Parts: sequence; structure tokens; C-alpha cells
Amino acid sequence: MSPLPDPAAALAIFGSLVLLAAILFWPERGIVPRLRRLVELSERVRLEDAVKHLFNSAAAGRTASVDSLAGAVGVSRDRTVEVARELTRLGLARLEGEVIALTEAGRAHALRVIRTHRIWERYLADRTGVGAAEWHALADRLEHKASADEVDRLAASMGDPVYDPHGDPIPTASGVLPPARGLPLSAVAAGASARVVHIEDEPGQVYRSLRAAGVNVGCLVRLDRVDPAGLHLLADGRPVVIDSLAALNLVVELVEEDDTEEGLERLDAIRPGEEAIVVRLGAQIHGAQRRRLLDLGIVPGTVVRAELSSLSGDPVAYRIRGAVIALRRAQADDIVVRRRPRKEAA
Amino acid sequence: MNPLAAASACHGCAHRGESLIQLGVVPGRWDYLVALAGNPNTGKSTVFNALTGLRQHTGNWPGKTVARAEGTFRHGGKAIKIVDLPGTYSLQAASTDEEVARDFLLFGRPDVTVVVIDATRLERNLNLALQVLEITDRVVVVLNLMDEARRHGIGVNTDALARELGVPVIPAAARQGTGIGALRDAILQVATGAARPQPHRLRRLPADVESPIAEVLPAVEAAYPDTLGKRWVALRLLNGDERVLRAVPSGELGAKIVEARWRLPGDFQDRLTGALYAEAERIARASEVTGLRRVRVDLDKHLDRLLTSRWTGFPLMVLLLAVVFWLTIAGANVPSSMLASLLLDDVHPVLKGFGAAVGMPWWMSGFLFDGMYLATAWVVSVMLPPMAIFFPLFTLLEDFGYLPRVAFNMDRMFQRVGAHGKQALTMCMGFGCNAAGVVATRVIDSPRERLVAIITNNFSLCNGRWPTQILIASIFLGTLVPAHLAGITAAGAVVAIALLGVFFMFAVSWGLTRSVLKGEATTFSLELPPYRPPRILQTLYTSLIDRTAIVLWRAVVFALPAGAAIWLISNVHLGGGASIAATLVSALDPVGVLIGLNGVILLAYVVAIPANEIVIPTILMLTVHTLRLAGLGAGDGVMFELDDSGAVRQLLVGAGWTTLTGINLMLFSLLHNPCSTTIYTIYKETGSARWTAVATLLPLALGVSVCFLVAQVWRLLF
Repeated sequence: MSPLPDPAAALAIFGSLVLLAAILFWPERGIVPRLRRLVELSERVRLEDAVKHLFNSAAAGRTASVDSLAGAVGVSRDRTVEVARELTRLGLARLEGEVIALTEAGRAHALRVIRTHRIWERYLADRTGVGAAEWHALADRLEHKASADEVDRLAASMGDPVYDPHGDPIPTASGVLPPARGLPLSAVAAGASARVVHIEDEPGQVYRSLRAAGVNVGCLVRLDRVDPAGLHLLADGRPVVIDSLAALNLVVELVEEDDTEEGLERLDAIRPGEEAIVVRLGAQIHGAQRRRLLDLGIVPGTVVRAELSSLSGDPVAYRIRGAVIALRRAQADDIVVRRRPRKEAA
Repeated sequence: MNPLAAASACHGCAHRGESLIQLGVVPGRWDYLVALAGNPNTGKSTVFNALTGLRQHTGNWPGKTVARAEGTFRHGGKAIKIVDLPGTYSLQAASTDEEVARDFLLFGRPDVTVVVIDATRLERNLNLALQVLEITDRVVVVLNLMDEARRHGIGVNTDALARELGVPVIPAAARQGTGIGALRDAILQVATGAARPQPHRLRRLPADVESPIAEVLPAVEAAYPDTLGKRWVALRLLNGDERVLRAVPSGELGAKIVEARWRLPGDFQDRLTGALYAEAERIARASEVTGLRRVRVDLDKHLDRLLTSRWTGFPLMVLLLAVVFWLTIAGANVPSSMLASLLLDDVHPVLKGFGAAVGMPWWMSGFLFDGMYLATAWVVSVMLPPMAIFFPLFTLLEDFGYLPRVAFNMDRMFQRVGAHGKQALTMCMGFGCNAAGVVATRVIDSPRERLVAIITNNFSLCNGRWPTQILIASIFLGTLVPAHLAGITAAGAVVAIALLGVFFMFAVSWGLTRSVLKGEATTFSLELPPYRPPRILQTLYTSLIDRTAIVLWRAVVFALPAGAAIWLISNVHLGGGASIAATLVSALDPVGVLIGLNGVILLAYVVAIPANEIVIPTILMLTVHTLRLAGLGAGDGVMFELDDSGAVRQLLVGAGWTTLTGINLMLFSLLHNPCSTTIYTIYKETGSARWTAVATLLPLALGVSVCFLVAQVWRLLF
């Protein structure tokens, strides 16, 4: 039998192999994933991104130029001119000097790409555990991969959703897009109550800061006052201050004045022995999770009583509609309630 | 042809027969079809068992890993087939269970739907009942667990409830058998049309839910005039229910639906469920009987506080688990050795004698009796007694209602690594048998958490591996310490290995949820049912039968071929004169020694993929075989065991085994790939070759790496 390899050498070789594997395959940052992303950035991707940008500019009432397109697609000016020529050749756009405009065919194509993007975002929000901050970026990459049939099947499996998780309308398979609704928060008067229907996903930083503050599509806000510090809101019962740029990106629909936004708390503030009445499920709860909580009886008006805390404090068991259900603190934090005073509970 | 037409309009027609076949029901030899629906934990299966007795059979719904039971009973001269639907909280089809239930009610169009309701949780249960009433009017409601309600001082006025719901309501306590006779009568009456229920329909929905329905309803009525439950169909279309949308072709109705959906308020689903619950609450209030005295004084509450409090919760849990393990090990000892002496010492020679008497050639006798029979007998004698003790004990705890409290206590730890508290339960089941642990993951309905539980289940040291661990620990570790400490050391080493397995389970769960399982969906909910006195004898009996059947099946299907393979490789000689086994051992030796094992161990693990129990006998046989030792063992390819562990030690040490080999064998036994039964079960449960491959190869890679590292470090130090 041949002599055993020197253990130190064997360990060193093993360690190097592990290191090599990490460098190559580490998710997102490894060499192989990066190569894969580079390959994806193919011609089709560039064309579709260009078409999307042109459509969005037109919808916002801006004209698109070669420069703005270069910025949006992320390539050099020369490459952008090539892309624009390709679009013209395909009949999707017209290049007139510095201005590029979509044709009807281009518009239809853009709607298809947008539909795919928003369906993917809905899927990521409802069916996966991917975090909200990543929906847009991931959908940006996924939108170029699926065929129209696959997208239709995906949409059907989710019940043909009409809005994406940012509140943007999803074009139908035949390219119909309903009119946008709501107005930016910056146009709302102080003291008004409104429901958030849409949050712009770009600039990403503003979107993330709004979400971090607890402002999501579907949540109820009341604008208390505006001062140099920013706009003071009550978002689902929680006081929040946002700046004017964020207010521009937040689209809301006015609702009836309702001063019952006072005195709201979250379920995880209710300790064993205390009772509360459910006001609503928070807007961060999506898809299957939301349906399950609703089906268990956590609907507006339900009286919930905290019964039992587990030995580590999390989860806590609540009596809901006659049954005892345990919820994690992270979930309880998303449920908006109003505390029931002790003498009522007795 | 309207696929949604009422059952009454369509009884016996070809289209319905087609749907039924798709749903897995064989049409024909029965007069009426009954579906059994209800929330989880309502005693539905007890009702099912009470109605069908032993005339039932279980399986899976076609194409899904959801358990299904169907049975028949005769009443009033008619044959009635009853299908047990999965327990669901609702019919909104948010999970596979709900999809299955919804599809069956909608497209299977049973003649009668029986909804089992828990008298102690009336409001929540009425949510499902009201949804069922929207689809069909041939409903019978069973108000089950009346005995528990009495215990908790809850009273229900059955007549008032029947008036409110508009359908027959039968009070029952299925465990005691009361109410079952009345249920049979009611089912027959509704099925034959002798009773015509007029179910309550939701009429008082709030305005913003009613107006979209009102918009769409005329179009639905125009398209399908003879459909029952038009409002419900309209609701499902508005909700974008895929199956219903497919059953209804587009065209004008389709366009109307699309338009209406644009205008739905964002929280339509919330409002709809809210309206259902408001109605459920009203009905529950109208039917409650107040002023009853509690018979049992809050025993549940005290028990809960004891079992989940900071100071007593954890110790009691550990104690209970320790008792279960101890009972299993101690209790299985005698039956195992009795079975072993019967099957191996008594029956085996008889079989060999029989073979000789009929003039069987040596190779056939060897192949059949030494290879196939021995392996099967080994598996049965090692596996059967512990499984027959461990699982009934577990089922008792489950019946009692304790297991969800375990998940409740442990959830935080599992949350931190991205898993579900119920994984604590499947992990414990895995200590009995990994395949059973994998099947048990069905209680976790969140897909991601379920996959994590399945993939990491192998790190629970299953019953089949305990003998290996105990033997090796006493031979190689017990002998390192003074004799009076040997027993404790060996036991401690095995416990340490088991705990190491738990550690790896957490670590690998964490790793999986941070990488490959990052994008999977996640939901969490955990219901804590009330405590119920378990029916000890009944449970022990059924669990015993189940377990025995499974072990025997597994022994035959998986161990038999393994035994054949073992015998073959030891007796088939290649060109050069050495047996296949010997050749393979020499080939595997370099790799084996590198990672601190040897060729014999590696080959033994390859052929023993089907069953961990035969690893040690195979190792002993291969050692004797490759060393050509005379006087030991029973011949080439015949597995054996030595009664005296000292003799085993002598044999192994003589073959070159060191303490390192022993330790690494213990580690490898913990960390290698799952046994073939488990692999097969994982494939059936996940339906995905990809995840099965991950579940198989991940532990193996981990095992090889850990053994490798331990071996190098050991050699550096010693």
C-alpha cells in the first residue's frame, strides 16, 4: 500500500479546493454567476430595455433622446445609436435626429415586456420568499427569459393579477392597460387620509427607505402636517417622517376622513392576558401568507386574546375565533390592532 | 356542456364520470358519492372511520402528495362511497390541500357533502361551512366533539344552528360513536332527495363586495342558466380562481370579468373573508347556549402553562424525549434478540437443510438463503421491535395534543436558521426512521420550510444506525478507559454523536436557506389544539399494525436485493481469481484510508445503501472474506455477527482498524447518504429529482469532508 500523504499537505490542498470553489461559485459574487449575468446581457436584452425606457418616457410625457436612452440601458453613446438604428429597422421606433419615438408596434412590444416584468414581480412577492428590495432587480433579469405563453401561464396560475406589488397596473395579454389612478402624496392637503396605491420603484434608494419606514402599497396614511423636517404621517398607526422627494414617489388614493387611525398598535404589543380588536392586516403580508391569516379569522373586527407565550417569548399563542393559533413576533408585528381596555375584557 | 352544472342536473352523466376519474374515483359500484370536508383537527378521520369501519383504503390524490382515504358503507339497502377530503381552513385554494378539496367539490359534484364542525371552535369552522353552502345545497353538517364542548362548558343549540344554516345538523361525539347512526340516516335522506335542504346563502355582503358581484352576475346567469351557486361562481371569477376561469370560456363573460377586476378595491379578499366571518359570528351567537358550567376546571390552561413556561417547559420536553428513547432501546432489546435467534439461528439452518434435501445447487442455496433471506431477516429483527415501540409512543403524544406544543417551544431556534418549528417534530420522528420523518414533513405546509426539513432529516440518527454506533463506541472508545467507566463512555459517545447530528441539522438548515432555498415561498401558522385524552389501546393497536406492515414491506423491497448483491459480489470471481468484493475493496482502500476509514467500510456502505442495519454484519463478513481468515464467519457472502464484542474487536484490530477508524466510522454513519427507502420516499414527497439528489449527495459530501478533516488532524496530532 502506498504511503499516506502528509496530513498537513492534504489539509492545505483541501483548503485550497474549498477556496477555489467559493471564488468560482459564490452566489451573486462568484466568477461563474458573474459570467452568467454577462452572457444574459445580450442583444435582445438591450433592445427590450430600450423599448421599455421609450415607453416609460412617453407615459411620463418626456421625449427620449439618444443620451437619455444611453443612460437607461447602460451602454455607450455609440452603442446606443446602433440600438436605435436596430429598433428603427425592426419597425419598433423612429429616430428623428436626437429624438427617438416608439411606433405602434413598438408600443405593443413595450407593453408585453412590461407585462412580463410586473407578472414576475407579483410572482416573486406572492409565491417566493424573496425580499421586497429585490423584486424589481430580479424581475428586470427574469423578464427577458420567458416567452409570452409562459408568462400567460404564470399569470393564470396566480389568478391573473391586475396590479404588481408596487401598485402598477399589469397590462393584459392583449395589451390593454387601464388608466393610472391616484395622485402623488405631495399633492395631498394636510389632515387628509389616503391609501397608498403605488410606490415608484426607481430611484431604488427612495423606494427602500419608504419600505424601511413601514410605508407599503395598501397601507393607510394620514398626513398630519408639513414642515421643514418633511411630511409627518401616520402610516398604519405608526408615526413616520418622509422627505418631499419620497412624497413625489408615493401615489395615493384619498379615502374618507377617518379619525379612527388614532390609538393603533401592532399585535406583538399585546401580552398574554390582554385583548385587542383587529383593525387590518398590514400591507407587507402578501399572497399565500395573507390568505392563510385571513382564513384563520384575523379579519377586521375580530377580538384576539393573547393566551400563551412560548418559553423563548416567540411565538405567542392567540385565541382567535375560538381556536388557539401561534404566530411569530415578526408576523404579529404586521397586524394592526386596537387594544381593548381591561375592564371591557373582563 | 356546463362543467359547473348542479349535481342534480348531472347525476350519472358521462361528463361527471370523466371528472371523477381524473379526481381518482372509480365510478360504478356504488349508488351515492359522499365527500367529507372540514377544518383540520375536528375529528374528521374519526367520523370517517366510524362510518366505514375497515372497509376503506388509503393512498394519495392523483399527482399530489396529499393523503387520501376513501371507503364504503351500506345503509338502507344502498351502497355509499365516501371520500375523505384533506382538512382545510377554506376553499380559496391557497394551498394544495385546499385545491384538492375545492376541485373535488366543484368538479366531482358529490351527491352529498358532509361538513364536520368542531363544537368548541364554531366560528372558525363556520367559515368553511358557509363556503361549502355557497357551492352546493346537498349538505349535512356534523357537529362533532360535543363531549369536549360539554367539558369546556360550551353548549350549542343544534336546532337553532340547523335553522340558521338551512341544512340538517347532527350532533356527534365520534370517538364515543354517538351520532353516527343519525348521520347515516341524514346522508341517505339528502342523497335520495327525501330531505331537501335550503341552505343559507350569503346575502348581506357589504356594498363594495356586492357591487362587483352584481356587475358580473347577469353575464354569468346569461352564460350558464342552470348553474347552482352562481354568486359563488361570480366570486371565484372575480378572485381570479384559475380552475374556475378555465372551466368558463372567455368571450363576453371573460371581458366583463376583466373589466370588473380592474375596479375591485385592493383589499377585496380581506373584505370577502371579513363578511364570511361576520356571518359566522352572527350564526354562532344565535346558536350558543349560555350559562353552562365547566365540568373540568381549566386543566388545559394549567397544562399549557406547565409545558411551555420558561422554567418547566424545556426540562419536561427533554425528559419526555429521554423516556421515549429509553423505552425504545430497553424495550426492544429482548424482542430483537428473540427475533434474531428465531429467524437467524433457527429458521436459517432449516432453510439451508431444505435446500440440501431438494438437491439445490450450492450457489442457488447460497443466493437465496444466505444472501436474500439473511439480509431480510436481519433488517426485520433489528428494525421491527424499536419501530413498534417508538412510533406508537409518538402517536400517543400526538393524539394527546402535546406535539404542537413542542413545535411552539422550539420554533424560535428554527426560525433563526430559516426553518419551521414543526421541524423539531420531524427531526424527532427521524430518530425512529428517516423515511417516516420525511413523510411527517407533510405537516409543514410552507414549501421552503418543508424542503429544509426533508433535506436535513438524515442528520437524525435513525434506529437502524444505533446498533452500529453502540457497538463501535464500546469496542473502540470504551476500551480506552478503565472498565467501570466503559459503559458510560460508550453511551456518552453515542449521545454526543446524536447531538452532533442535531448541530449539523441546524447548520445545514441555515446554509440551505441562505443559498439554494433562498427563493422559495414561506408561510407560518401553528394551531394548538386542545388536549384530548388519547385512546391508548386503539392507538397502540393501529400504530403497531401500520409500523409492522411498513417494516416488512421495506425489508422485502429493499433489503432483499441488497442481500442478493452482497452474496453475489463475494462469490463471483473475476478473471484474476479474486472475487468482485475483494477487487472492489482493494480499489477503494486508498480513498478509504485517506479519509480515515478503509476499503471494507466503503464497500459495505455502498452495498448497504438499502439498509443501515446490515452494515456491521457486512463489514465483518467482508473483513473475514478479504483476509481469508479461516474459522470465522459462515462462508463467503454470508453475513454474521459475533455475540462477544471482544471477539469483534479482536477481528477488526487484527485487520488494521485503529481508534481513528472507529471514530470516523461513527461520524460517517451519522453523515452519509440516506438509505434507499428514504431516498425513494424523498422522491415521492418532493416529486423532484433535483432535490432528491441534493438530499442524497449533500450528507455524503459532508460525511466525506468531515472524515477527511478529522483524519488529517488526528494524524497531525498523534
